Amino acid sequence: MGTIALRLVIPWLFGDAMDDLRGLESADSGDGKSSAAARAGRLVAINAAIIAGSALVGAVLRTASRLHILGTSRRVVHDLREDLFAKLTRLAPSYFLRTNTGQIMSRAVNDMNNVQGLTGPVFMYIAETALLFAIGLGVMLTIDPAVTLWAVAPFPFFIWRARSLAKVIQEGSRAAQDSLGTVSDKVAESLAGQLVIKTLGLEGPDFERFAVHAAEYRRLNLEVTTARARLMPLMSWLAALAIMLALVAAAPRIHAGTLTPGEFVSLIFYLQMLAAPVATLGFVISSLERGEAALVRIFEVVHAQEGLPERPEHLRPDSMQGELEVRNLSVWREPAPTADGAPAPAPRRVLCDVSFKVPAGTTLGIVGHTGSGKSTLVAVLARQLEVDEGRVFVDGRDITHLSPIWLRRHIGLVPQDPFLFSATLSENVALGVCDATPERIQTAVKIARLDVDLPQLPAGLDTVVGERGVNLSGGQRQRAALARAVLLEPKILILDDTLSAVDRHTCDAILSALEPVMAGRTTLVVAHRISTVAHCDQVLLLEEGRVVERGTHRQLLAHGGRYAQLFEAQAREPDRIEPADETDSADRVTAPSGQEATP
Amino acid sequence: MSRPAPIAPPPEATGLAATAPAASFGGAMVYDPETKSAGAFEPQLLRRLWSYVRPYRRHVVLSLALLIGTQGAGLLQFFLLRHAIDVHLVPAELQGFMWVLAALLAVSLVEYAGRRRQVWLLDLAGQNALLDLRRDLFRHLQRLSSTFYDRTPIGKLVGRVTSDIEALQEMFSSGVVTILGDFVLIVALVFFLLVLDAELALVSFVIIPCLLVATTWTRKHVRKAYQIMTSRRSRMNAFLHEHVTGMALVQAFGREAAAQDQYGAINREMRDAQVDAVTWESLLSAVTDMLSAFTTALILWYGGRLIVGDVTSGAPPELTLGTLFLFVFWMQRFFQPLTDLSHKYTVMQSAMTAAERIFKLMDVRDFVPERVDARAPSEARGALQFDGVEFAYAGGDKVLHGVSFAVRPGEKVAVVGATGSGKSTLLKLLTRLYDVQGGAIRLDGQDVRDYPVAELRRRVGVVLQDVFLFEGTVLDNLRLGHPEIPDDVAIAAANRLGLDRIVARFARGYHEPVAERGKNFSSGERQLISFARALAVAPPVLVLDEATSNVDTETEELLQSALKELIRGRTALIIAHRLSTIRDCDRILVLAGGRLVEQGRHDQLLALGGRYRELYDREYRKQAATAEG
Repeated sequence: MGTIALRLVIPWLFGDAMDDLRGLESADSGDGKSSAAARAGRLVAINAAIIAGSALVGAVLRTASRLHILGTSRRVVHDLREDLFAKLTRLAPSYFLRTNTGQIMSRAVNDMNNVQGLTGPVFMYIAETALLFAIGLGVMLTIDPAVTLWAVAPFPFFIWRARSLAKVIQEGSRAAQDSLGTVSDKVAESLAGQLVIKTLGLEGPDFERFAVHAAEYRRLNLEVTTARARLMPLMSWLAALAIMLALVAAAPRIHAGTLTPGEFVSLIFYLQMLAAPVATLGFVISSLERGEAALVRIFEVVHAQEGLPERPEHLRPDSMQGELEVRNLSVWREPAPTADGAPAPAPRRVLCDVSFKVPAGTTLGIVGHTGSGKSTLVAVLARQLEVDEGRVFVDGRDITHLSPIWLRRHIGLVPQDPFLFSATLSENVALGVCDATPERIQTAVKIARLDVDLPQLPAGLDTVVGERGVNLSGGQRQRAALARAVLLEPKILILDDTLSAVDRHTCDAILSALEPVMAGRTTLVVAHRISTVAHCDQVLLLEEGRVVERGTHRQLLAHGGRYAQLFEAQAREPDRIEPADETDSADRVTAPSGQEATP
Repeated sequence: MSRPAPIAPPPEATGLAATAPAASFGGAMVYDPETKSAGAFEPQLLRRLWSYVRPYRRHVVLSLALLIGTQGAGLLQFFLLRHAIDVHLVPAELQGFMWVLAALLAVSLVEYAGRRRQVWLLDLAGQNALLDLRRDLFRHLQRLSSTFYDRTPIGKLVGRVTSDIEALQEMFSSGVVTILGDFVLIVALVFFLLVLDAELALVSFVIIPCLLVATTWTRKHVRKAYQIMTSRRSRMNAFLHEHVTGMALVQAFGREAAAQDQYGAINREMRDAQVDAVTWESLLSAVTDMLSAFTTALILWYGGRLIVGDVTSGAPPELTLGTLFLFVFWMQRFFQPLTDLSHKYTVMQSAMTAAERIFKLMDVRDFVPERVDARAPSEARGALQFDGVEFAYAGGDKVLHGVSFAVRPGEKVAVVGATGSGKSTLLKLLTRLYDVQGGAIRLDGQDVRDYPVAELRRRVGVVLQDVFLFEGTVLDNLRLGHPEIPDDVAIAAANRLGLDRIVARFARGYHEPVAERGKNFSSGERQLISFARALAVAPPVLVLDEATSNVDTETEELLQSALKELIRGRTALIIAHRLSTIRDCDRILVLAGGRLVEQGRHDQLLALGGRYRELYDREYRKQAATAEG
């Protein structure tokens, strides 16, 4: 407030000083003139000094107010970000399956930026501009209402125009940014696949794809430029137009002597001052709309249903035996939202009336084709997905009455496509156990047969892996995830097609190394190859979400049903004879929590 | 240029991360992406940049002319206002006032139209030039050899095509041309102000050195604060991205609180960096505004004294009120370009650094060398001969030690061996992704290095494990890279392999669009498409790297029969992983440690009891037994 007032003082003082000087010129010549001159000179000097002084104070106040407002906005957004992240850690896994990473990132990054704009600069500009207009117009109206009204007449139109152009610019810039991301992805893809592209002679089509993206990026940029080229000169034209209108209105009044030239110059000053923020105002109004929409989207996440929250009434028994029972379990899956906004198909039943029992300390094999529901079953048992219908018991207790954190602590799930954080390998292995000693980590690594790979890594266990580190092969990642689960010493270990990218030789070695570790623990082995589960105490065959056969390997073979057929068919298949560590990642299931890829 | 020099192992090459520069074919250029440069305005660099702008030079020149014109129009407006004040308003004389108004309207419209066109033209020229540069750079990257990619991180190269070219874009929209325009504006202003009133002009300029010092100093801090903020933001985004992707894991291992703590620390750092940036930025704008107001006060005070002095001495007033007004407004015009100067200099500097990096990459001539007189023999029978082939990857040990064998036209040969035995290197040498370092590979009696590269790759069809599907229809993908193949030939080839059964599930059949990275096909189906692709081209020699991935039983059977169909009647070199494929071949080559240790038929080799027997016993005797039993 003070800041604005101080800024507005300057034109008034300047006009006043000019009038002092003008009065001097028109004063009668004679004795009085020199004393009048001296007085005018003094007045002008005083005005100049006040201008300088108010500029100084204004600068200090302005910095202080900006720091306060903008600083506060950063702090508010800091808190909001913290809350959003905390919320993300509590959301149900199904939320992450339904919503892709890009969408969540867009909430956490782009929308958050928009909200930051809303709480900070937008708020500041609105406050500043509103005050500027209110006080400025007030002062101008006291100087000369008619001239002022004439001069500000075009302002509303220009503000409206600035707003629409600003919207085009902001939205266009966002689109251009996304487009640059596409260009970047395309280049990365082409360079990563350059061996393939070269051998197959695909340079031409590959270049065409790139050229299309690059041209699209240029087009979007030019769209933004067009709007920008219109907006920028518009504002100086507004100032010129307002001054012209003021001139037209002021001329007869100055002629009549009701308006002094000094007052008129003050008005011109004010008009310049008011015209300057109009372009910004356009952006501000547009940001306001965006900020609001962004806030709505962020709150959608904040208010999304939390998955399996901890409740005080949840049971946390001292220990777990590892007995598992599933009774008439059914699970539905909501289909992923379609991009083109088509009506979503009805939820699909992915598990249908599944029942089985695993005594503590025994092993259960689960086989079935891709899409048969194996991974969904595992996700429910690991308390990642909700039980829709039916019941699941651990040690005879319904799992919905047990603390999810306690359950997860005792169930080690090794997914098919494990995720590694950008941290050292040993940090990744020790993920669930904060106080793991190096010796224990070493042992776990040895059991998972990861130790043989360590010499290849630049810093052994201290090698940074993950997105920003060394890229491990599929088999190495699977073994790291296994080591992670082994270290946790879970009562129930679930291998969700864990060793699919590990060669048979290593696989056998791992399984035999696991045997002593798993003595007394319940183990679930999920696979689509029967040979992997042949040694299990009990085997289930899943087809389209139903248990179609159940028994030991021998019993099922003797039964001669679907299981035996599948075994025959797989036996005819020639097996691979060498490590498949380089297996193309495209055919691995990619959802970390075990979503089945639907064919 | 036709033979690569042996590549000396770089001193700091360390197994996995051998990214150190190595001598290239030309021997002159070494591409080191890490080179830092001060962003010097080297004439040679500017010349090369200009070669891209040249086609659009008329836009640039016109834009510059318009810029100067509009700057003039802007100044003229205030000059007209001064006239209005001195001639019409102060003496209250309205004669001819309408003309002044009309002139003002005309001039302001000219400024509006001129600036609009100027900004647009400049950006158009920039966008066009940079699109050309981007396309050239991409084509250049496509031509670079595999050896180059072995030692250059892809991330750096992507940065050249995206962020470095962005830096150049920034230079176009707020760089050279506008600096030139600003310069003209400043010179003109100084001149006119001096002409109007030399004494007052000199006084008005007093503040300018302070302004330059203050803005340069604050901007340096603003820039630094923004740099810190940008790096912290990307750290925050990376953390977020990783944790959103791995949230199931965070939850499964009960790491929620720990992750929140980590994020909290990053978030706090981000907030501090932001507050820092805001502080410096507010300071910058406050200082500029304050100094501008000081100048106004100074002009008023000194100008007032001059007027008072004139009046007291009775001399005719040299300085009018209108001129005083003009001084204040023109000086305000003066401030903008000066405060922007240090910013624009930074933009130019980073653009020059970017340009240097881009052109340095363009100078890498690490192409697959092709002889000027390269010609392929007219007859393509498909006879292969490997003759004492030696090879080592840059900075690595030898992977092939004098491998020699010959393949008769129409013969099917399987290559087996453990990982690292050199099987896939043979494939890469045959198609000249790399060149042999000793010995020779001959196709139909001629060294592959004497073939035109494109013709060689047409005669040697390759099916890789990685199937590369582009967006487009299935049919487009079948004749990828060979648009000359007619629809019916491509479809007939695909039908022979049984692909018709797979596309039957789509409403549009072969015209079904392929989703991003072929997501609407299983890995086995993608393999089948790549088989069909090779069959449509019908090369005399086929090199095949058999996929190791698991596919379901039905697809497996389809693939096996498709493979038989694909290699019928042509020479085939198969890096085999499946027992049935191996047994169906005319001959098996066993590689171990980069040497050809055994060759012969399956049963011969088994009877021999050597390396093949060892492989067989270890890897798949069990399966062989179940398959037979």
